[in-house]
Amino acid sequence: MRTTRHVVTPENGAGPSHFSDPPLLVLASLANGPKHGHAMIEDIASICGTRLGPGTLYGAIARLEQQGWIEPLAPKDRRQPYRITAQGLRVLRAKLATLRQFTNAGLERLEAR
Amino acid sequence: MNSRIARLLLRLYPRAWRERYGAEFAALLESGHGGVPTSARTLVRTVSNVIWSALGERVFPTVGGNMEQSRFQSWCVRAPWAMFGLAPFVLLMVAYGVACVILWSGWKMFLPGADTPFVPIDGFAIFYFQAGRLLYFTAPILIGWAVALVAGRQRLKAFWPAVGWVLIALIGGTVQVHTSRPAVPAGAGHVSIGFNLGSSGQAIPDRLLHALAILSLTVLPYLVWRLLNARRTLSA
Repeated sequence: MRTTRHVVTPENGAGPSHFSDPPLLVLASLANGPKHGHAMIEDIASICGTRLGPGTLYGAIARLEQQGWIEPLAPKDRRQPYRITAQGLRVLRAKLATLRQFTNAGLERLEAR
Repeated sequence: MNSRIARLLLRLYPRAWRERYGAEFAALLESGHGGVPTSARTLVRTVSNVIWSALGERVFPTVGGNMEQSRFQSWCVRAPWAMFGLAPFVLLMVAYGVACVILWSGWKMFLPGADTPFVPIDGFAIFYFQAGRLLYFTAPILIGWAVALVAGRQRLKAFWPAVGWVLIALIGGTVQVHTSRPAVPAGAGHVSIGFNLGSSGQAIPDRLLHALAILSLTVLPYLVWRLLNARRTLSA
């Protein structure tokens, strides 16, 4: 998947600790319920301190929707909520499991030093 | 962000992208709170982010998925009254018009001089008249299913599709074909359609039952789709 360049605005000045993979962040944000663009940006900022730019967010949304991992719901005013699909949930689980494995391996190596 | 700047930025994206995401993206840009900060420094950062993303979209456009139906989807969102109210009404009237033309032309071709086209016939005339009859009786159901399909695929709220279904059912239930005798021997008769609510003496007029039957048949696929979708979401 092509990802667009992202804007990261450090919330607490802690740049290096921020995780930034826009499609994964959007999937994770939608894992606990449907959200529109603003809500996703705020939610992602609260999860990992990464504030996605609007272009980055919609770049990720367009591609996630194209792959059938998220789907639009009925629009509210001009805001368009999205929800994660069953396929998107499977992909998110798989990606997070890989990340967990990677994180555990990395932490074990650090502890072994 | 100023709506003018938002519109300008939006124009950087390809047309298909704009038609699909334009309205919601502009709403996100224009809003001064939430994801898009309004200070000069962050405004510059946001603008550069959008420019970069738009450039990426032009170089590697999003294809497939819902982008192919973007114009249609856009209409469904912007003018649901037209898509689910006016369009089914016009389609139904066109279908009834065609059915009337078939009846009138069949009357003229196969039954010249007959007082009414509703008489026993044989040969090719049977198929000809049956085509018109099929169109007449199935048009409201087919159009109702089309409304259900569009509402389901576009994941729209049920209000406007429901308006469309009720309209279709009422028209389909009350429509009536009128024929009048030819004014001159062997001349062409007159065929027209009208709407009749039925006799007031009945507790539930036949016409209303007919309308309810059409409504049930057209709403059923949508309800099944909603149910399956809800189950799929729960199982996920």
